[in-house]
Parts: sequence; structure tokens; C-alpha cells
Amino acid sequence: MPNTSSRREFVKRASAVAGGAALVGAPAFWETAGAAEAIKVGFISPLTGPLGSFGESDPYVLSLVRKALAKGLNVGGTTYSVTILDRDSQSDPARAGQLAKELINSQGIDFMLVTSTPEVVNPVSDACEAAGVPCLSTVMPWEAWYFGRGAKPGAPSPFKWTYHFSFGVKNFFDCYVSQWHELSTNKKVGVLYPNDADGNAIREHLIPDLQKAGFTVVDPGGYEDGTTDYSAQIAKYKSENCQIFNTFPIPPDFATFWRQAAQQGYTKMVKIAQIAKTGLFPDTMEALGSLAYNLASACYWHRNFPYPSSLTGISSRELADGYERTTGKQWNQQIGATMSLFDAGFQALKNSGAPKTKAAVAKALSRLKTTTAVGVVDFTSGPFPNVSPASIIGSQWVKAAPGSKHPLDLVITEHANDAKVPIGAKLRPFS
Amino acid sequence: MTQAQPIVVQRWNVLSIAAVTSLVALLVALAFGPTYLGPNLTDRITTLFIYVILAAMWNALAGYAGLVSVGQQAFFGLGAYAAIRLSNAGINVYLALALAPLIVGAASFPLSALALRLRGGEFAIGMWVFAELAHLSVNLDGLVQGETGTSLIALSAFAPDVRRACNYWIALALMTALVGLVFVLLRSRTGAAIQAIRDNEEAAASVGVRVFATKRLIFVLAAAGCAAAGSLTLSTLISFQPKTYFSVQWTAYMIFMTLVGGLGTFEGPIIGAVIFFVIETIFGASGVWYLVGLGASALLFSLFLPRGIWGTLTDRFGIHLMPVGYRLRFGSGEPR
Repeated sequence: MPNTSSRREFVKRASAVAGGAALVGAPAFWETAGAAEAIKVGFISPLTGPLGSFGESDPYVLSLVRKALAKGLNVGGTTYSVTILDRDSQSDPARAGQLAKELINSQGIDFMLVTSTPEVVNPVSDACEAAGVPCLSTVMPWEAWYFGRGAKPGAPSPFKWTYHFSFGVKNFFDCYVSQWHELSTNKKVGVLYPNDADGNAIREHLIPDLQKAGFTVVDPGGYEDGTTDYSAQIAKYKSENCQIFNTFPIPPDFATFWRQAAQQGYTKMVKIAQIAKTGLFPDTMEALGSLAYNLASACYWHRNFPYPSSLTGISSRELADGYERTTGKQWNQQIGATMSLFDAGFQALKNSGAPKTKAAVAKALSRLKTTTAVGVVDFTSGPFPNVSPASIIGSQWVKAAPGSKHPLDLVITEHANDAKVPIGAKLRPFS
Repeated sequence: MTQAQPIVVQRWNVLSIAAVTSLVALLVALAFGPTYLGPNLTDRITTLFIYVILAAMWNALAGYAGLVSVGQQAFFGLGAYAAIRLSNAGINVYLALALAPLIVGAASFPLSALALRLRGGEFAIGMWVFAELAHLSVNLDGLVQGETGTSLIALSAFAPDVRRACNYWIALALMTALVGLVFVLLRSRTGAAIQAIRDNEEAAASVGVRVFATKRLIFVLAAAGCAAAGSLTLSTLISFQPKTYFSVQWTAYMIFMTLVGGLGTFEGPIIGAVIFFVIETIFGASGVWYLVGLGASALLFSLFLPRGIWGTLTDRFGIHLMPVGYRLRFGSGEPR
């Protein structure tokens, strides 16, 4: 799928350039080319580059969405044909911004959907905000989306066109407290937060809340991404006997740290190893070998979620199974998240009554309250007008049952953020 | 008749007059760009202007002053950062974008005292270290919030058309000013010094060229120029994420454009920038293979066409479009 589309794209670009001067007159043509009954939706995600694992399942989700929209989208009795223009950000923020502008300027999209990490979502959101094109996004901490784009606490929201639903620090807090009460521990938490955006935000907001909730937090201080020696931190956790461990590292750093912790005998005293940011996808976990068994994680979607996709009507379980059947790979949590973006986005288009009118779509987004594959998306009651916090559910990577195709299995162990999500198993102690 | 023919020092010839005239005509035509280019082309051409600035600056640095830097992204990033800071302090956003390069240029002056003491490879690596330092320091700013970054949302106050046209004109003006400055510099007394340093630093010093002062001038110019490119990129992207702006890829692009176009020639980097821009437009969507192709062609050029496209053309045919040098010609009586 991606191959044919990129080849077609290439031919289109090549001929566009060959057309040379003819292009000068083209913009006016583009603008009138879209008939009144056709909606163009842009979709940008990272398919290649360091963030490629986020986009791995997007072509599959897109194929389902396109199938569901093959007969068009019915809005207030009018059927609109829908074209989804999907683009690969190549994990490059500058490219993401450029692609967004190209979709807005030369394709004349009516609506933008974007997902996965600040490197993709923020530049695309900024391009849409600046151009006055409605944009809906997901899968990055909402604080980094809202405050990371220049909004100030206490001031009114500076955004008119961009909306975001995703987890935030508060969701992590609820999830962790519920998860950590499942086992009896000494309530001493060793934290390893890097000196980067996520690390500092978590340090500033999560630690005080954890202390209030009765946990003792041992924080040896921020470390730089790419650190190779963690002996000092490990010694500290050991001397303080931290039975709970929590970290927000980039994947290569976690592998380094966790191996050193095993060599230096810390992993043996850990009852709960709660890792975030790393450990979203099965392939990164498999790389850790047996050290991955019983690592606790938090997920934004799971195949056991009770919600079907509102756009396609496909259940969460069938979404995951379908992916495994089509690709032969193990399901991952991004499948449901990308699907929920289309669910919420097309619901907003329907609610707007006039999907070709950008202001109407933005207004519909601000009033959107709907249930998607990841659960409820609600912009009417968020902490800020453009934000809808989404749930994050405590889970654990466990050794898969014998005979299973994949070495690891992700099971749900708590549901403080959304009680409708069924708990699959009790949290097992790491060691 | 047996006497030696008189020798005339010549700067302009028919070709260079024609070239400069058509360049001026092209610039005038470009100045009206936003009125006849569509929104997308206006945006894209703005990017081309930024590439030309980057290539011309790196060429001035490496091609003329012999300072091979792999840390020019430091100034690119600082330019964008300075614009963010100024705008946040309440200064009009376009004024902030214009002031940023001047501030970075001024800041590079004291840095030059340290950096220019390093030679060759030391300078290259030293600049990279400086770029990393600048990156980490910017990350510490509470406004930037580490790698999360921030956005120049003040720009959203302008209507998209107005903003696009403003960005375009500012980029065009800065490109013309910076490349024009290099042109004027090369034609001036300093230009002779610069070209002497390019050809042989020790020899230049031995005939009384003030090597350090000349190099510092170019260093500061290149810093301000890269900062201008950074602030212009910010004006088109709006998002400021330190990792993007302080990425070594910007220097890699500069090296590519300069190498392909022709290091140490005035016209080369401009040609290199246009080539890079066209390649990016056509092949940019093909991801990894595009980068492999870029790397491979830079490699092939440095192996087989070390003087780049324009350098090879001038060597072979003696064409000089821009009158930056002098040529000796036999007396007017007998044009060769």
C-alpha cells in the first residue's frame, strides 16, 4: 500500500515539476477543482525514521477508514465524497510542518488529522492554527501540546483552530497510584526522569502529587538523554530500598539502565517497575529479552477495550485481530489511537453540518463529545477549551502463554482512568 | 611592435554585464512573486531563499575564509531562539525576526576570539561542540521547556496571505542583502584579502594581509546570515523545537549545496541551493532513499568534481558571471 501511493506521489511531483511554468497558473485551478460535495482530509503521521514504530499500523487503519468512507460521508442528508491525503512526516518536525502547509495550500484540505509525538503533532498544529484550518490531534501529552505551543497558564486559550485529545500528567498520576496499590510495598519510589521535556514536566507535576498520596520519592536528579553509566542512581535506589521504580526514558537509555540495574543487583529488590514512554510497542520490549517480563506499563488503547470504532463499527478486539491477520505482526496500542482520531474527526465533520466550512468544523470540534475506540472524547469539559484529556490504563508486559505466536503479552492490570475497561489480570511483582 | 603589448585590468565584460542585468531583472520579478505565485509556490520559494542564504554563508566561511565549520546550526538555532525571546518580550513579531540575526551576529563577535584560534579540524569540531552547548543552554530556558519547545504564536495574529507574503519579502530582502554583502565584500579591498587567504593563508599573511581580522569579519557575517536563515525558518514553521533547529542536518545541507555548486565560487552556492531545492521538491517524499541519494551525490561530487558544478565550468571555460574578480587582458588594440 504505502509503496504504490508513494510511487504515485512521486510521479505526480515529477510531472508537476516538469510542468514548470504551467504550475504558476495552477493554484486558482486547484481551488475551484474541489466540487462542493467532496471533502479533503489531510492525515500526517510518522511512518519512517526514529518514530516509525508509531506509524507502523497506520496504513492498516487507513485502509479500514477508506473502506468505511468508500460510499461517502452523510452530513445532514448530503453525501460528501471523502479523500484522505496521508503523508509521512519521516520523523522530521520541519518536514511535518512543510507537508502540512503543502496540504493546506496546494491540496486545499478542509480538515487536518495528525497523530503521534510532539515532533509530528506540534508543527502540524501550528501550521493549521496559522492558516485557519481546523485540526484534530492525539497521542502526545496534552501539556506539551498546549503549553509547548506557547499557551500560558491563566491566560485564555490562544488557539482557535486546533484541538487535541490525549493523556496528561493527571492521568498518569491516577493510573500509577491505582497500579501501585495492587501490591504491598514499602511505598518508596525510585524515579529516573531525564532532563528533557517529558522528564521535567513529570518531575514538576507528578512528584508532589505522589508525595501527597503517601509515597516516598527518591529522585537522584535529572540525567541527560544518552547517559551510559547509571551506577550512582542505582546505588541510591539500592541504599534507599526503593521497591517501586518509575522512569520516562527514551528506549535506548532504558535498555542501558535496566541491564546495569540487573548487573548491579537492583532489579532483584524491585517489586513494581513502572516504565513510560519506552515500552509502548512489543518489538522494543522484545529487544530486552527476559528483562522485559513483568515490566509495568501504561497504555492508551488495548485490544480488550470495550469500545468499537464509531466510524467503522469495528470492535477493538477485531481491530487488533485484523491487524495480526493482515500483517502477521503483533497488535500494538497505536492501532486504536489512530482509529479514534478518525472516529472523533469524522464525528466532528458530521456534527458541523457544513464540513466544507472551516469555521463550522472548528466550532463542532469545540463542542465535540463522542465515544471513540479509545473511549470518550469530550471538549466541553476539559481543563482548557482546546484540550480533552484521554485515559491511560495500567498494564503489564508478561511472558505469553505457551504456544503463542509472540513472546510477550500486554495485560490490563488497573482501570482508574476508565472503569469500563476490563481488568485482565492482577499485577505481578517484578521479582 | 616588438614591445610587449599593454595589459588591461578588466572587471566587467559583456557576459558579466548581461548576467548582472538579468539577475537584477530576476530579483525585480521575484519581488512581485506573491502577486502571481500561488500560495504553495510562494511558501516553497521562501524556502529556496533560505537555502540560498545558508549556502552562501557556508561558502563565505569555508570557501573563502577556509573555515570549515560543522557547527553552523548553532547560529541557525540561536537566530530562531532570539526571535522567540524577543517576541515573548513584547516586541513586534516581525521586528523580532529581523533583530534576531543582528543580535546573534553581535554575540558571535566575542566567540570568534576563541573559535578562530582553533585551526582546521579543531575549528570544525570546536564549532560542533559550541552548537551542542548552545542547544543545551537553550533547553534550560523555562520558556522553551527543554525539547518540548514553544511556538511563535504571535504570527497567528496575521492573516495567512499577509503572513505568507511578508515572510516571502523578508526572505527575499535578507537573501539579497546577505548575498549582496558577500558580493560587495569580495569586490572590495577586503575581498582581495579574502581571496588571498582562500588561495594560501600563509602567503597572504606574508604579504601583509590581516588574516585574523578578515576571518573574523567573515565569521561574524556567516553567523548573522545563518541566524537570519533560522529566524526566517521559524517564521515559516512557527514551531520552535530546539532539536530541529540545532540539528546538524542544516550544516549537512549547507555542505551539500556548496560542494555541489562549487566551493569558493560566488555563483556556485546559489546554483547548489537551487539544485538542492529541486531535488528536495521531487524526491523529498521518498524518505530514506532521498537521504541516501543526497549523501551519495555529495560523495561523488567531492571525488570526481571537487570544484563543484560551477567551479568546473569556470576552470574549463573561464566563465565568470559575477564580476567579483579581475582579469588581465592584452591591450584594447588586440582583443583575444
